Amino acid sequence: MNRPFLQIRGIRKEYGPVTAVQDVTIDVAQGEFLTFLGPSGSGKSTTLYILAGFENPTRGDILLNGETLLATPSHKRNIGMVFQRYTLFPHLSVGENIAFPLKVRRLRKAEIDAKVRAMLKLVRLEGFEDRKPAQMSGGQQQRVALARALAYDPPVLLMDEPLSALDKKLREEIQHEIRRIHQQTEVTILYVTHDQEEALRLSDRIAVFSKGVIDQIGTGPELYANPATRFVAEFIGDSDFLPCDVVSTVNGRADIAVCGSMTISNIPLHGTASSGSKAALMLRPERLLLSKTKSDIGLPVTVSDITFLGNNVHVATKTRKGNDLSVRLPFGHEAISGLNRGDAVWLRFDAGSAHVFGQ
Amino acid sequence: MVSQTETGSGRPNSPAQVRRLTDFDLTLPALGLLILFFVMPVAMLLTRSVTEPVPGLGNYAELLGSSTYLRIFANTFIVSSLVTLVSLLIGFPVAWALAIMPSRAASIVFAILLLSMWTNLLARTYAWMVLLQRTGVINKMLLGMGLIDTPLPLVNNLTGVTIGMTYIMLPFIILPLYGVIRKIDPAILQAAALCGANRWQSLVRVLLPLAMPGMAAGALMVFVMSLGYFVTPALLGGTSNMMLAELIAQFVQSLVNWGMGGAAALVLLVVTLALYAVQLRFFGTNRMGGR
Repeated sequence: MNRPFLQIRGIRKEYGPVTAVQDVTIDVAQGEFLTFLGPSGSGKSTTLYILAGFENPTRGDILLNGETLLATPSHKRNIGMVFQRYTLFPHLSVGENIAFPLKVRRLRKAEIDAKVRAMLKLVRLEGFEDRKPAQMSGGQQQRVALARALAYDPPVLLMDEPLSALDKKLREEIQHEIRRIHQQTEVTILYVTHDQEEALRLSDRIAVFSKGVIDQIGTGPELYANPATRFVAEFIGDSDFLPCDVVSTVNGRADIAVCGSMTISNIPLHGTASSGSKAALMLRPERLLLSKTKSDIGLPVTVSDITFLGNNVHVATKTRKGNDLSVRLPFGHEAISGLNRGDAVWLRFDAGSAHVFGQ
Repeated sequence: MVSQTETGSGRPNSPAQVRRLTDFDLTLPALGLLILFFVMPVAMLLTRSVTEPVPGLGNYAELLGSSTYLRIFANTFIVSSLVTLVSLLIGFPVAWALAIMPSRAASIVFAILLLSMWTNLLARTYAWMVLLQRTGVINKMLLGMGLIDTPLPLVNNLTGVTIGMTYIMLPFIILPLYGVIRKIDPAILQAAALCGANRWQSLVRVLLPLAMPGMAAGALMVFVMSLGYFVTPALLGGTSNMMLAELIAQFVQSLVNWGMGGAAALVLLVVTLALYAVQLRFFGTNRMGGR
C-alpha cells in the first residue's frame, strides 16, 4: 500500500470545555471495512459526522486520495451515509428515494431508471419501487437507505449504527446483507457501532474508541488475543479481572502474585507497572481449564453458580478473596459432570491467554 | 380509597349505564343552545335573503349580476389571496427559524407573536394607520432619507389592507407551520445533503413537500378568515377596494337591506364551506396542524 486511500489526520473536536474527539488518526485502505467501536459518548459518531461534513473539526485534516475533504461542503463530498434513524424521504416512493441523489445530479432519465433497478436488485428489494417508506419494515427501510447511499457510487460509505433500531434476528440478517454488498461493491465502509458482536462479524479492522481516543486498531482476532488496554479487553470478548501484585517486570512482561499465594510468570504487561505495584490480571472465561482435583499450579476457587446456555455451560466461581471469575465450557465437558454449587475446584490457564494491565 | 368506592358502589360499568352515558339526549342542552343562538340567526338571515323585499332569488340575481358587486367579490378574493401569499412568504422562514432556534430564543419570539395576537385588534389596526399614513412614520423616514420625493400612498388602498391583514394573519400561518417543521427529523435534511442536494434542492425537494400539510392548513385558515374580514379593510382600505364583509355591513347598517345582506352572507358561507371541503378532500381533518 503506497498512499492510503482515506487518511484521518489528528482530528480533534472540542465543544467548549468538552473534548469529544482527541487527535484521532487512522489510515483506511480502499475497499476496507473499518468499524468504529465504542460506548456512546466515546467520539466515534462525532468522527463520522466530521467525515460527513456535518461537524467541523477543531483541528486536524481528512484526506481522500491525498486531497483534503474539509473544504468541501457535505453536498459536494459525494460520500454515502446510512443513518441510525430512518431517513428515507417519507413523501417519496422507494424508487424515487433511490433516484433522489441521481436527480439532483441531473442524470438522464434512462440512466436513473437503470441505476434504480440495479440498486433494488443489489439490496434484494425488486418490485418494491412504488411503495412508500411508511409501508416498509424497519429493516427494509434501512436496505433502501443503503441503496440510496450507494446509488451514486460514493468512494466512501458511512454507516452510523444503522441496525440499532432493529431486533436481534433482523439485525443478523441485515449484517449478512451488508457483508455481501460490501464484497459485491468493494466500497470502502466506515461503520459505527457499540455492539462488539456486530463489529466482529462485519469488519476487516476495528478501531476501539474510548473517551474520544482510539485505544487500539486491529483485526478482531488481534484485539481479542492482544488487547492494548483494559478497556479493549473488556469490550472485545468476555473477560474477568483479578487484582494482583507485580513481582517483577522485564521487556513488557511481568511476573505477578495473585490471591496472595500464587505466582505466575511471564505474562504480557500493558500500561505502566513496576515491581511492588498493584495491577489487574485479565482472564478469558473460555480460556480457563477447570479441574476437580487439587493442583499446585491451579487457582483454588469455589463454584457459586452453574448456568446452562445451550452449547455452553457457564460456571461462576469465587476466589478465596471473593473475586468473581467465570469459566465457560462446552456442554457435556467431563469437568462439569457432577459439579455442584459450593464445590472446591482449581482453575488453570496458559500464560498466553492472560494479560496484566498496570494502573 | 379508590378500591373501596369501587367495591362499595357495585358495578358502575354495567352495559346499561355505559349506554346511558353515551346517550344522545345528554347532548341536547348544548345542541339546543347551538340551534337557538347560532343556527337560528343564520337561518333567519338566509330566509330574509329569499323573502325580502319580495319572495324569490331576486337578491342573488342582483348580487351576482351587477358588475359593482362582482368587483367587490373579485377584490375580496384578490385581497385574501394576496394576504395568504404574503403571509406564507414571511411565515415560512419565521416558522423555520423558530423550529431550529434554541428554545429560549424561540420562546421570546413566541411571546412576541402571542402578545400581538392578544392586543386589541382595533388598537393594532390604528397603529398601522399611524405608521402608514401620508405624514406617518414610514413616509417621514423615507422622505428624510431622501429615498422618495413625495409620500407613498400606503393606506386607504390595497397596499394598506394587505400590510395590515398580513400582520394580523401571520400567527395563524406560523403556528401550524412551526408544528409541522418541528416534526421533521434534521437527519432527513442531512441525508438530503449527503445525497448531493444543495440548500435550494433540499428546500424544494424535501423541506417544502414535508411542510405541505402545515402550509395548506395555515394558508386555508388565513384565506377563509380573510374572506370575511371587516375591521382592517374598513380602516386601512379605500372605497375603491371594498371587501365583502364591508358590503354586508353597508347593506345591513346603512341601507337596512337585510335581503341583500343575507344573500351576500350566504355567498360568503358557500365559498367558505367549499374551500373547507377542498381541504378535507386533500388533507383530511387529522392532518390539520400537521398531526
